[in-house]
Amino acid sequence: MTAQLDITGLHKRFGGLVAVKDVSFDLQPGEVVGLLGPNGSGKTTVMNMISGALPCDGGQVRVAGVDITRLKPHQVARHGVARTFQLVRPLPTLSVAENVLVSYAFGRKRHWGSEARDLVEEQLAFVGLAGRGDEAVGNLTYIDQKRMELARALASEPSLLLLDEWLAGLNPSELRIGIDLVRHLQGQGITVLLVEHIMEAVRALCSRCIVMSTGEIIAQGPSAEVLQDPAVIKAYLGDDHA
Amino acid sequence: MRTPIAFGLAALVLAALAAAPFLVSDYWTGVLLGMTGYVTLATAWALFSGPTRYVSLATVAFFGIGAYTVAVLNESMAYPLVLLSAGGIGLLVALLVGLSTLRLAGVYFVIFTFGLAELVRQSVTWFEVNITQTMGRYVFLPFEGRHIYWQLLALAAVTLLISWGIGRSRIGLALKAIGDDETVAAHSGINVTRTKLLLFVISATIITLVGAIQAPRWTYIEPSIVFNPTVSFLTLIMALLGGPMRLWGPLVGAVPLFLLFEWLSVRFPDHFSIILGLLFILIVFAMPNGVLAKIEDVRRRSA
Repeated sequence: MTAQLDITGLHKRFGGLVAVKDVSFDLQPGEVVGLLGPNGSGKTTVMNMISGALPCDGGQVRVAGVDITRLKPHQVARHGVARTFQLVRPLPTLSVAENVLVSYAFGRKRHWGSEARDLVEEQLAFVGLAGRGDEAVGNLTYIDQKRMELARALASEPSLLLLDEWLAGLNPSELRIGIDLVRHLQGQGITVLLVEHIMEAVRALCSRCIVMSTGEIIAQGPSAEVLQDPAVIKAYLGDDHA
Repeated sequence: MRTPIAFGLAALVLAALAAAPFLVSDYWTGVLLGMTGYVTLATAWALFSGPTRYVSLATVAFFGIGAYTVAVLNESMAYPLVLLSAGGIGLLVALLVGLSTLRLAGVYFVIFTFGLAELVRQSVTWFEVNITQTMGRYVFLPFEGRHIYWQLLALAAVTLLISWGIGRSRIGLALKAIGDDETVAAHSGINVTRTKLLLFVISATIITLVGAIQAPRWTYIEPSIVFNPTVSFLTLIMALLGGPMRLWGPLVGAVPLFLLFEWLSVRFPDHFSIILGLLFILIVFAMPNGVLAKIEDVRRRSA
């Protein structure tokens, strides 16, 4: 079976700093995989190179067998890759529904008109914002903004979804809601790569984890094993705890 | 309002405006002409700069290019061809400028467009002085005020129609998304560069045509007349006053401001610039989102 996402030898330098060094991994269709690591380990840089926000200095990114390494973000989006951002980024002058409509209009299948409006309503209902399409984005609570951002990402009908700390900043009850939403995605056959610091979420969602430290992969495998790995504990907590 | 009714109403108003030169004096036809020119300029400016918030001060660069093309070509070819050439030149310049500058954002874009207007003016001046050795040109076209007015009226109607169409289309949504957050827009699948370029070119071409159509009005043209930066500032402030994010916004701003400026320049010819500056400041302070947004605001608060 062709991997949904296949990364080989990914490399990124910022001036003298090597942010990502020879990173390779792949995701099978329908998998939910965690990309972990301490701050500054290069996780978001990897996400940015997959989504086309940053050019790679070396290596290759393939989505369902297609090379997307040199593509621009809008082209990557049309190949079925959607993402959320580390800090929520709503489009403030658009209504909640229009925020989601943008991705339907310019995503993979380019919906428009009444068909698109129906799809937006369905998508909003899926993330728990049914009937709230006409509201201004600025009036949404934090969790609702997160819901909207997820709906916007899903509206481009991706086969691969990149969630960059999408669960960060939620209170415990909101976190449960968030985890349930991501779990529902799995049911729809969407492959998910999630950068996350909240271990509760990682344990609940990810069958497999990839751990990065200072730009390199230091461990990967089933979540339970990886999180016990001495090298991983050392990277997070320092020598004394390993 | 239902769309067919709105269109019917717009057609009636347009017909009434077209008939106006037969009913009013030549002076008022002249006022209508100038007003229609600015309505078109402000609407065209807002096509691109409204939703994207790329504030352009290059209006007069394209306006002047249009007028100057007519001045150079008016004796050598038929008038429709002259207009077509002017539009074509404006389109090409816009394409070049767009490709090289739309990566600039915020204040850098503003400064660049202002610089561009000066650059074009100085280049034309240099060319006329050193190469053709004719400073100043005459436009002899058999047009009276009302003929120019009718052409501008048609262009204004077309511009509003384009603006209406874009507002309802995918591109309109893309432009708003770009204005809010280019990164998010790109990741949603929008080709940001192409969308911006397309709208910049459409807007600039219309502005060029306004300059071209108005050229016969001056009879005598030289760079300092048609490349006067006040045109850029007036267009900007009119669009801002009405609200550059709305279809009728620029028109709502252009009509009263044009009449006001007309009256001021007759009444206080020496202090006109000072009053103009004060008005600019007042508008930006009092209603940064335009009159229409202000009215909605007040209504919502009283409701």
